[in-house]
Amino acid sequence: MAGVLALGPLALFATSAQANPLNPTATTRKNSGTPNSNIVVKKNGTVIKYGDKYITYSAPSSKLDALGQALFMENCASCHGTLANGVPANGVVGAYPDLVGLGPATIDFWVASGRMPAKDTTAVEAPRRQAALSPQQAEAIAAWVNSLQPSFPYIPDPHLKNANVSDGAALFALNCAACHTIEGDGDALAMSTFSPSLRNIPAYQVVEAIRTGPANMPRFTGNLSDKQVNDLTKYVTTEIQHPNNPGGFGLGGLGPVAEGFVALLLGVGFLVLICYWIGERT
Amino acid sequence: MSDVATPTNKRAQREALGPYGKIGKTLGELDDRLGVAKGGRTFMDKIFPDHWSFMLGEIALYSFVILMVTGIYLTFYFVPSSAIVTYHGSYLPLDGQKVTQAFASTVNLSFKVRGGLLMRQMHHWACDIFVGALVVHMARVFFTGAFRKPRELNWTIGLTLLILAIGNGFLGYSLPDDLVSGTGIRIAYSIMLSIPLVGTYLAFFIFGGNFPGTAVIPRFFILHVLILPLVIIGLVGAHLFLLVRQKHTQFPGEGRTEKNVVGSPMFPVFMAKTTGFLFIVGGITALLGAFAQINPIWQFGPYDASRISYAVQPDWYMGFLDGALRIWPSWTFHSFGHTIPFEVFVPAVILPGIIFNLCYMWPLIERKFTGDNEIHHLLDRPSDRPKRTAAGVAMFALLAILFIASSTDVIANFFHISLNTVLLEMRILCVVVPIIAYPVTYKICKEMQAFHGAGKRKTPNVVSRTSEGEYVATPTPVYSEDAHHELQPTVVPTFIEEVPEQPTESGTRTVER
Amino acid sequence: MSEQDEHRTPVSLNGLSADDPHLQPAAKNPATVEVVISITFVLGTILVAGFGAAYWVNAKPWILGATMGGGLFILGVGLVAWGKYLMPRGPFVEDRHEFANSQADRDAFAAAIVERGGSVVKRRKMLAGLLGGGLGIFGVVAMFPLLRSLGPLPKGTLFHTDWRKGSYAVDQTGRRVSAGDLAVGSIMTVFPEGTQNSDRGQAVDQTVLIRVSNQRFTTQKGRETWAPLGYVAYSKVCTHLGCPVGLYEQQLQLLVCPCHQSMFNVTNGAVPQFGPAPRPLPQLPLYIDSDGYIRAQADYNQPVGPGFWERG
Repeated sequence: MAGVLALGPLALFATSAQANPLNPTATTRKNSGTPNSNIVVKKNGTVIKYGDKYITYSAPSSKLDALGQALFMENCASCHGTLANGVPANGVVGAYPDLVGLGPATIDFWVASGRMPAKDTTAVEAPRRQAALSPQQAEAIAAWVNSLQPSFPYIPDPHLKNANVSDGAALFALNCAACHTIEGDGDALAMSTFSPSLRNIPAYQVVEAIRTGPANMPRFTGNLSDKQVNDLTKYVTTEIQHPNNPGGFGLGGLGPVAEGFVALLLGVGFLVLICYWIGERT
Repeated sequence: MSDVATPTNKRAQREALGPYGKIGKTLGELDDRLGVAKGGRTFMDKIFPDHWSFMLGEIALYSFVILMVTGIYLTFYFVPSSAIVTYHGSYLPLDGQKVTQAFASTVNLSFKVRGGLLMRQMHHWACDIFVGALVVHMARVFFTGAFRKPRELNWTIGLTLLILAIGNGFLGYSLPDDLVSGTGIRIAYSIMLSIPLVGTYLAFFIFGGNFPGTAVIPRFFILHVLILPLVIIGLVGAHLFLLVRQKHTQFPGEGRTEKNVVGSPMFPVFMAKTTGFLFIVGGITALLGAFAQINPIWQFGPYDASRISYAVQPDWYMGFLDGALRIWPSWTFHSFGHTIPFEVFVPAVILPGIIFNLCYMWPLIERKFTGDNEIHHLLDRPSDRPKRTAAGVAMFALLAILFIASSTDVIANFFHISLNTVLLEMRILCVVVPIIAYPVTYKICKEMQAFHGAGKRKTPNVVSRTSEGEYVATPTPVYSEDAHHELQPTVVPTFIEEVPEQPTESGTRTVER
Repeated sequence: MSEQDEHRTPVSLNGLSADDPHLQPAAKNPATVEVVISITFVLGTILVAGFGAAYWVNAKPWILGATMGGGLFILGVGLVAWGKYLMPRGPFVEDRHEFANSQADRDAFAAAIVERGGSVVKRRKMLAGLLGGGLGIFGVVAMFPLLRSLGPLPKGTLFHTDWRKGSYAVDQTGRRVSAGDLAVGSIMTVFPEGTQNSDRGQAVDQTVLIRVSNQRFTTQKGRETWAPLGYVAYSKVCTHLGCPVGLYEQQLQLLVCPCHQSMFNVTNGAVPQFGPAPRPLPQLPLYIDSDGYIRAQADYNQPVGPGFWERG
């Protein structure tokens, strides 16, 4: 393990098979959420923080390992196995995802957003729910899983005051609106998969989702810089989640579908009722 | 001047004016120049039937008035240009982005111009209501048989108005050049491409080249604010002229025959009601524009051909086309060096072509099927014509299913069902529902016919049970004050000189001639 | 007979005495109704005036709309109530005069057209024919400037994009994409270098670049060299109606078009497996140059986007 860490980022960029082929940080682009970014803090050869003035990524504290292990055994091991490698007690390999080497941001996102522990393990995908575990507990589990095989990305902290919301709007329209809709309400995708609404997600989880690509969401690593991800996060947490709506009620952001309902039922329907009052019957 | 002279002067002045005072004098002056006295009196005496369902066309008419008024206001601010500018305005998420002038002027109108957002929203709500009212009005005309001789031409004009309204609405909401409506324009371009033989030429001519080009926004603008409104105004004028000339139809009832019209006079009753209704329609539109946000183009952002949003349905009146495009299978034809994209051509061109042509030809079709060439001024109750009503309901059901099919993703998301399942279900429904709707409607109409007074309020029946256990309902005579005399047409003399002192028992009047 | 029955019988407008029941208001208590309508008029006027005040102080749009809308609505209700309850309640009747004329008139009309017109044309058939021909040709050629001048001929522009052998793939900012940029499961929109800001670049050249693997990937037979290091590129223009196919589901390996939900399989050459799209998305053959940049081997091997007659 020390050898892998000594090689630093280069080892993670390797195309050779690792424990998990979905290597979340196989990218060399600078400022792209991997430890290629400008500011890297090293201690004992271990990366504990990296990033820049837009997003800082921090490793979960190793002090949380013990707590994380306990929580994991209690909440996660029945499916993901006691070694977190996706081999549960009944021994069926591949039934559940292997969590080793995915990086703390991945684990933290799934647990803190309430998707895990999964309520319905037979469902096609796990939606955001009221989280069963607190953010600190999520970080602890992430810490322990990361200790098995330290990987990236780390848990992000976006600095929204350095963000440009206009750039974020343009990036959102190009990269995110196709799944999440331009108003960020989410919609049904192919075959019982769904893109979630973005109305309730905290800023750091936006970065986590973008950088790790949970479930069917593509991951954005070298194709978006930290500045761009920061801009996107600011756009989501301000404009998407707190729209100005100067025109009145937002009608759920469903666009012309909702507008059609209102126009026909409230508009034409009400006016027909008025006709019923004004005119004669029979 | 002495005190004695003044009152005399005043009285003399009053008497000089005639029995009707200043108004009479003014009307006299008008008549000298225009000869309006006789025609004016006839016009004011015109009788309008009062039934509530005859007012549905007025909803459409007054929505159109609001569209024109708000539309004129909008033309003072909208810039119909595809030239690129950098937006620097009060909406920060767009600040510094390169957008077209059309988009920038619309955002400025929404945020900077006082009352601009209200006018924009009223304009858009009025359009949605306009087309909705047209559909409801057309349905009323269809189901009551008001399109029969001599009103076939009016039916044709009205149907053309519906098509023009839908088209103008599409052109209008495409003008701001935002992400959602721009996607619609891309789809329109591709539909044009799909037309065999001439498709590419048509698309290149209308768009001035490849998609998107810079010509389409200015061209849509002039079509939307000048050409189509002129045609619509002309056709509305013709529609109303025919209505006045042929007089409105009416339901059968007391005193109502094929040879008369019963209702309220134009002045003052109908004018008061209809002007009041104009204010009501305007008021409702303004209230919608105040409280319900519509088409927030600043959230959508400018159109960029490489960007797309999910849940991009068109405005509701185009929904049946979008639904047809979604559920029609991918049967394309490709042979002999040519492609006919039937997967686009059929749902987007042939299907609406068939539907609208069927509607245009309906008066002829019905004449052929019923052999009825008579003039009709009395309307049918829908249940009196089961076949026509059933056919209309089946067509309506098809259009409704196609309309619902345009929201497959929204439905799948709302009910948390697989998107694929919803789409497959829509395919089945759009065949099955119209097929079922016809016989079901037919049966309901027949049942209503068989049951005397069905569908009316206050039809008391005595329900008795036979010894075999069957229930029988017999209409029962009611108290005379509640009797619905108007359901039995009575013969009424149409010209009455005097009011008799004592009306007779039966309710009819006799007149000494 | 009761008074209620009496007023239901329609009468003509002419020659009614002033106390005829048809001329009386429909309301049982006209005075009360008048008071109520007065209140609505006052209320409506206050609201409409409120609109003026709200405009003066630049109030929010919803206040402008609420005052104007509420005021108009209430005024309208009052006016309708006046017409319905306080004006003569009727019903009145008038005759439908036959507007069709007598057969004699019709015959005279037809005779005028047939005989007068017919005699003219019969005698001067050649003139009429020549004029008709001239007007017909005028009608046809008048269409030329109206249609043809609107735009250029399509020619071959629909058949090619701007991708060429060696084109660098760039993102929307113009930055070249290199082989180390995307992780597996990643997607981005790319354009040939230089076209990313142009209309044509965005509409026609737009391409999605997806990393499906860490190694060379084959989508179909004959395309073994097209996806180096697992980078697969497909045209982003949907083959159904041209919407950008930007919705990528990395576990299902599907590209879904948001407009009408066509679903393309990313691993086998973007063959549509659901929805109305008729053809696969054309694949762009890629290679990675010695500097590590991703570049195109050639243009697409077929026209991108929706079908058209000349497509072949």
